[in-house]
Amino acid sequence: MQVTESTQQAQHSQRSRLSDRIMSIIFLICAVLLVVIILSVIFFIASQSWQVFFQGVTFIEYFFGSFWDPTGASGNPEFGAGGLILGSVITTICAMIIVVPFAIGTAVFFTEAAPNWVIRILQPLIEVFTGIPSVVIGFLGLVTIIPVVQKISAPITGNLPTGGYGWATATLVLVIMVLPTTLSISIDSLRAVPGSVREASLALGSTRWQMMWRAVIPACAASLGTAVVLGFTRAIGEALAVALVLGGAQIPAWPWTLAVFFRPNVNITQQIAANFQETSGTAQYAYWTLAFTLLVITLIFVSISRFMSSRSVYK
Amino acid sequence: MSLQEAVPAQTTGEGRTSALRRLTQRLAVTNTIALIILSLITLAVAALFIWIIIYLIVEGFTTLISPTFWGTTDAGIAPQLFNTFYILILTELILVPISLAGAIYLVEYSPQGRFIDVIHFAAETLSGVPSLVLGMFGFLVFAVYAHMGISRLAGALTLLCLNFPLALRLFEQALGSVPNDLREGALALGATRWRAIRTVVLPSATPVIITGVILTAGKIIGESAALIFTMGLFNPNNVFTLNPLIPSNTLTTWLYYLKGPGAGTTSLTSSQETAVAAGISAVLIILLLLINLSARAIGRFIQLRTTAA
Repeated sequence: MQVTESTQQAQHSQRSRLSDRIMSIIFLICAVLLVVIILSVIFFIASQSWQVFFQGVTFIEYFFGSFWDPTGASGNPEFGAGGLILGSVITTICAMIIVVPFAIGTAVFFTEAAPNWVIRILQPLIEVFTGIPSVVIGFLGLVTIIPVVQKISAPITGNLPTGGYGWATATLVLVIMVLPTTLSISIDSLRAVPGSVREASLALGSTRWQMMWRAVIPACAASLGTAVVLGFTRAIGEALAVALVLGGAQIPAWPWTLAVFFRPNVNITQQIAANFQETSGTAQYAYWTLAFTLLVITLIFVSISRFMSSRSVYK
Repeated sequence: MSLQEAVPAQTTGEGRTSALRRLTQRLAVTNTIALIILSLITLAVAALFIWIIIYLIVEGFTTLISPTFWGTTDAGIAPQLFNTFYILILTELILVPISLAGAIYLVEYSPQGRFIDVIHFAAETLSGVPSLVLGMFGFLVFAVYAHMGISRLAGALTLLCLNFPLALRLFEQALGSVPNDLREGALALGATRWRAIRTVVLPSATPVIITGVILTAGKIIGESAALIFTMGLFNPNNVFTLNPLIPSNTLTTWLYYLKGPGAGTTSLTSSQETAVAAGISAVLIILLLLINLSARAIGRFIQLRTTAA
């Protein structure tokens, strides 16, 4: 009787040990799946991206040419992606120049000086806006920002009927898209600074502003840098919001005046979103190369942010 | 600058006192000015956020109350609403088990160190990949190579790739919030790890896991760029089926099509297109607000429970 019971017990524990083993393997597979996904994203996009250079398009022509017409709608196909890349770079940089002071200023006020009721209002707003659909902001840009920009820029563009579309509006749309992310990461990094840093600074006789500027911000400079870099990552990859308000097919011809910001223009994501699916063959390879360019840029940004956060003292 | 720098040590008596007073005054003025500027910046940001929400809801309101907006014609969003929730549920059905399993491995099984670092690095990298690029990847791998075609399934799998890092992080936090005593107690009673997870860890992490699911739901509903190549911009004739292999649009992609590439090609006039787009924006904003509110409510519930215990 006792013997059977103990064998039963042994069987039972063996079975449960086996199921533990199986489950742990399943869990491991799911965790590794993440690595598989990112590696295959890089692999598959890279594998498509070099093909355009085997179809008679030179490297220099592709990255420094300024006329983008891979399907040859206006005669011969042309693969000058320089204008698109420039568009992405310019709108991203302009947007981040606006975003950084607003995001960090708000974050500093929010964590160091804001009364409780401000926090109670702002916190949920930031959370909602970090997930706001980009098409909604694109639509908002179409119906509210473009008319205003068009009116303001009318003297510069010479009353262009399509004035208002372009880099300027795209920049403002990007600001709305990127500000919440940068802001919330900045808030997190400021909150990670321990109270003792503030107390030490105040105890030495600093004013509040000196405490923020000389003690708290330097203490988390590296992680604020991470917030900014991640803002860049989001801004350069932002697609449909920008696509709705750029409205161009080509970068305007050289020479430029200030008006170039206020007329229909292009960037990488807008062209991909608008044309990728209708293309095939060489033309599609050209779009894959654009995607790979974007991927490489974001990978570089992610590596920078990773490096910076490894340097930060408080996490 | 410190007081020593500003006030030379040689000066004594009256001169030193007044110099110190001037310095304090200057510091106080700088402090006030800086705080005013910071509060104005914060006010501007908050005003921008509030204005956007109010504007979108007010702008869409007249559309929201018209019955045709909820119908199945081009001016109605019933198919898009159905598709959005369909793709939401389909994606969550794939996303939650996989990312929860991954999180369980990282929190419960994996020894600390290099392996976790690799997974976290991969997650960070994947979350940095633009959703448009992930959409192209999904088009190539799921729609073309895996022969799913441009379909809801391909869209859901692409959304899985997109939301995996976020879901993994949220679920890791959920599991990490379970106190170690519970695990150790179960293990000390002779339970295997899997049994301890199933009977002790998961039940007590459930509310936080639900918050995580809700937060990913917000991202899935709002996503558009990853879907335009994988799920397409159009609906087949009969959209109200559970067939995962048909292409379909969602609220977001339909909004993009109406105001972007498809402007002027639908059966609507330009002002009708704008009205529908405004309605869709309002619906999306309201959905997001609801999602955020419910996540907060659950968060508060958890807080109450843990402080009560």
